[in-house]
Amino acid sequence: MIQLKGVNKYFYQGEPREVHALRDIDLTIEKGEFSVISGTSGCGKTTLLNAIGVLDSISDGEIILDGKEIANLSAEAKTEIRLHEIGFVFQAYNLVPVLTAEENIGLIMRMQGFDDAQISQRVREIATLLQIDDKLDSLPNLLSGGQQQRVAVARAVASKPKIILADEPTANLDSSNSKALMNMMQTLNEKEGVTILFASHDNYVVESVRRIIRLDDGALVT
Amino acid sequence: MFKLALKNILYYKGRSVTTFLLTFISAFFFIVYVAFMDGSHSSMLKNALDVYTGSLQIYQKEYRDKGGYDYLIEENQKVFEILSDIEGIKAYSSRLETFGIASSKKHSAAMMLTGVDFSKEAKLSQLQKALQEGLYDSTGTCLYMGSELAKKLQLTIGDEVSFVGSAIDYSFVAELFKLCGTFKTGMYDFDRQSAFMNRPYFDTIFLSQNSSSYIVSMAEQMSDNDSIAHQISRDLPTDLRVYTWEELMKSMVELMKIDSLFGYISISLFFLVIFFVIMIYGFINVSTRIKEFGILKSIGLSDRDIDRLLFYEIFILTTGALMLATPLGSWLVYYFEIYPIVIPGMSEIYKEYGVVSDEVPTRFEPLTIIWNVLVVFFLNLLSILYPMFYVRSFTPVEAMRHV
Repeated sequence: MIQLKGVNKYFYQGEPREVHALRDIDLTIEKGEFSVISGTSGCGKTTLLNAIGVLDSISDGEIILDGKEIANLSAEAKTEIRLHEIGFVFQAYNLVPVLTAEENIGLIMRMQGFDDAQISQRVREIATLLQIDDKLDSLPNLLSGGQQQRVAVARAVASKPKIILADEPTANLDSSNSKALMNMMQTLNEKEGVTILFASHDNYVVESVRRIIRLDDGALVT
Repeated sequence: MFKLALKNILYYKGRSVTTFLLTFISAFFFIVYVAFMDGSHSSMLKNALDVYTGSLQIYQKEYRDKGGYDYLIEENQKVFEILSDIEGIKAYSSRLETFGIASSKKHSAAMMLTGVDFSKEAKLSQLQKALQEGLYDSTGTCLYMGSELAKKLQLTIGDEVSFVGSAIDYSFVAELFKLCGTFKTGMYDFDRQSAFMNRPYFDTIFLSQNSSSYIVSMAEQMSDNDSIAHQISRDLPTDLRVYTWEELMKSMVELMKIDSLFGYISISLFFLVIFFVIMIYGFINVSTRIKEFGILKSIGLSDRDIDRLLFYEIFILTTGALMLATPLGSWLVYYFEIYPIVIPGMSEIYKEYGVVSDEVPTRFEPLTIIWNVLVVFFLNLLSILYPMFYVRSFTPVEAMRHV
């Protein structure tokens, strides 16, 4: 489903301070996988996740999503890919502060052009699954960290993307909230069939997934 | 997106209140300022035209350049026939001006003596309304004199005044007149130099039957003036020429254009400051929200969507402020047009500019208000362009990492 071929990423390329962040990455992630990119801090996990999510460009190589090369598309086309194909969960939740939980969850669907009834039905379905259905009218700043992260997950899942990319989603959560979040992600993976790829160095996350992709200094460790 | 913009406006209160207030103040101030400026200009013109000049004057071609009795119109009746056939002319009359020395028992002064038809002038000019003392519609040797000239000659109603000048055949004219009435138009120079007398007796002593220095007319609607001038020109004998008020009052029109130009330059500077303050506030607000835009970009909003969001925000704020400023400003302008502000002594200070009243004239003109409001509207929309451009310069990742 997602295939990376010879992906390289340099920061400050050609300058004395050049950093080779990703080194010849060849990777395939199948549909419905529940995987984690693991490694020490600074090994390139977030860079790889950003590259797969076409949030950031790559210096060399190809990223193929469902048979279509996506790394070298125009900015507009990448935006379309992010809107329709990929869901993101960030370490810092990254909810829109002026929108309620319900509006945050439904935001992507609204951008995709779904009508109010469809959005409302889907938001309530996901909110019930993630046990935040009683918090839908709250603004993000009135929610706990765990609840905000669940809203962020719900937002990523609501529009039924092909893959969810989660960058250190448990980093700001305590252990009980981390466990709850991982259980929910597993449920989503099983019930909704969503492909989920984490970037994390949290042992609990690493132990919870079916496939571990190890990175060391930007290179895959086999 | 519109709803999100509305929520952002309510959330970022500082920027919203500042933008709203600045837009409100600038629109309100602009409407009132332009109404006062246009009001004073149209009042100056109206005074000048209504008092004496009229909206059109017909001359023998050389008269305005060379002057004198050699270039008089000698076919008054023919021109009157042309004017009577044209629609939209309120009144017309001939005038014959001559210059000489007027003397009382103690003083002498240069005087422009004009022979007029008093009944026609009553419809054409403000001479009758300007009556200060005595009689307007005088006959025989009666003079209707400017109040400042009477003051200069130390004359009171009923006093005798002698005049020495020349008839139109350049023979010597000396006559003893009686002051029957004085007028005060408020146009200082005019009131200090002019006197009028009835045309039949004027023609008797100056030998000027059926002649005139010029024929003056007033259009019913000033907006029709140019087309009336065109129609008159078409039918006039070739040695005559029609002048519109813009040509007759050229120096005043230019003075007003210059005054308007400086007025607009002053207000442009004011707008420039307002524009930059709104832009800077918008920019600061956008700068603090870069991370938020990064989030929106990362979940699939395009640069165009972000532009649309920022546009809606400024659009809502601007429209709201203008919806408040426009009726309030319009109402104030309308109120002052009906009940003008009175500054005692103002006419005395500004008499050389044709200001004849102590009232500050205001002009309520819906079309002017509309373009005033549109200027503020478009300036506000322009102020968001740079912040839009700034947000576009960030990739989603850069924006999300922005502190």
